[in-house]
Amino acid sequence: MNYIRFIQDNIPLILEYTKAHFSLVLWAVLISLVLWVPVGVLITRSEKWANRVLGIANTIFCIPSLSLFAVMVTIPFLGLGRRSALVALVLYAMMPLVRNVYQGVKVVDKSVIEAARGMGMNYWRILWEIQLPLATPVIFAGFRITVVMTTGIAAIATYIGERNLGRLISEGLTRFNIEMIVDGALLIAFIAIALDTMLGALEKKIVPRGLRVHRGH
Amino acid sequence: MIELREVTKVYKGQTVPAVDRLSLKIPEGETCVFVGPSGCGKSTTLRMINRMIEPTSGTILINNKDIRESDPDRLRMGIGYVIQQIGLLPHRTVAENIAIVPRLYGWPKEKIRKRVDELLELIGLDPETTRDKYPSQLSGGQMQRVGVARAMAVDPPIMLMDEPFGAVDPIARNYLQDEFLRLQREMRKTICFVTHDINEAIKMGDRIAIFNKGRLVQYGTPHEILTRPANEFVSDFIGYDRVVKKLGLYRVADLAGPAGCVAREGELPEIGRLMREKESDVAFLVDAHGRPCGFLTTEDIGGMGDEISPQSLMQKALGRRGAFAQREMVLRDALSLMLEYDTEYLGVLNGGDLAGVITLSAIRKHSCRKEGE
Repeated sequence: MNYIRFIQDNIPLILEYTKAHFSLVLWAVLISLVLWVPVGVLITRSEKWANRVLGIANTIFCIPSLSLFAVMVTIPFLGLGRRSALVALVLYAMMPLVRNVYQGVKVVDKSVIEAARGMGMNYWRILWEIQLPLATPVIFAGFRITVVMTTGIAAIATYIGERNLGRLISEGLTRFNIEMIVDGALLIAFIAIALDTMLGALEKKIVPRGLRVHRGH
Repeated sequence: MIELREVTKVYKGQTVPAVDRLSLKIPEGETCVFVGPSGCGKSTTLRMINRMIEPTSGTILINNKDIRESDPDRLRMGIGYVIQQIGLLPHRTVAENIAIVPRLYGWPKEKIRKRVDELLELIGLDPETTRDKYPSQLSGGQMQRVGVARAMAVDPPIMLMDEPFGAVDPIARNYLQDEFLRLQREMRKTICFVTHDINEAIKMGDRIAIFNKGRLVQYGTPHEILTRPANEFVSDFIGYDRVVKKLGLYRVADLAGPAGCVAREGELPEIGRLMREKESDVAFLVDAHGRPCGFLTTEDIGGMGDEISPQSLMQKALGRRGAFAQREMVLRDALSLMLEYDTEYLGVLNGGDLAGVITLSAIRKHSCRKEGE
């Protein structure tokens, strides 16, 4: 019951943290989409570049988040706070997004592309009307991972000055306040699960109908 | 008209050309079949015609215009293209798939809708039930037909077909071939058709181009190729049964003679006399409705035919109930039917009616005569 009391007693603070958390996640995901989806599409044109870019993405993904945040802080332009947090989160999102966009576009049936090209569709039309729609299930899977992952890692940005739900955990640790730690963890987990569920529902609407129907339906 | 002049294609990183100094003319309104073993360059040649592959050297002309002068996408919009894997867009309905090229041309919606329905009728699919289906809801044969309809959407004068019926089962393939021949008789499009199946080439082609190792080995009508194979490769490729294959080029109607003697069951006792009167070697038995149900030959009635009971004659005649061929049947199948029924005669049918008779000796003379040409 102490857990609930803690929340009741600190509603304004928790709301502030939640808001900050959401805005960080939202910006990070938006920037990631704008940046990494085109990169994922672009590298489908060259095997060599695909290997390079995916290699970089994998390497970044292997860096522990705490140290990546710390490294960002040392860069003069970034410093403590939101900029560093955003850059680090966007870099983390590179792996799931670029990889899934690349694979989604790559696995589209070659004969479909061949037929489309043979009918006179140009590169952009094929990309926009065929490859991207057919890649939506895979791209969306990457997008969901990105959102959930960013929600989690965003908490760690509290150590470089972000005032978000991660702060409940870090402060709870220094003060050894169990209610604070557990509530912070539960709230973050709850947000992640809620976002994933919402995206799951959205995915059903976005995946083209023809990919879902089968013979006899 | 499509003309290839000294066309060569060497793929990157290879020294042996995939297509080697190929020259070929395909007259307007004809079907030209490229045939040969795999890796012989037939598909490469086809794909160079719509610039899916650019030749290393040489010139390709369509209606005397160098295809390099046209924008590749524009060029392809004007050429129907069908591939073995069909490549229907899985996220688009049948109607949307057929509408792709009309949409590229910017046709108004109403015109596209009409054309889609017209094409679905043409290929034998019901527009009402098929139009809004997705490709995954169709059978293989239906998909292939939609693929052909899609290629014909803007009625292009030229069609390129790369093993279009290669992925469907033999029965559906035969049916699709017949349907396509029927359509082509009306459309008279200029068609390049790739296959590795010599039988399909003989059936579909006005002309056949036989490829081997990137070179054109022989180019001619099916008849020329079967009668005078240019070299050992061609005759091996055709097979030992080339005379029989040639029979696939002609139809029963080409050799049918008049039926001569037709009798009803009651006339069986006098059948010998009737046949002698009509100077006919074969007598057809018709039922009460005038439909043919069998036949007898002079051998059956043993010279006079008077000493054999009408019942056993009846039995014999009815035993050949199946020994009839439609006028459109190819001679090869008629010959097979004769062997099956162990007879030298087949009744010729026009629908349900008796239209004449075809004999083994006529087929034999026909193939000998052609052989000696």
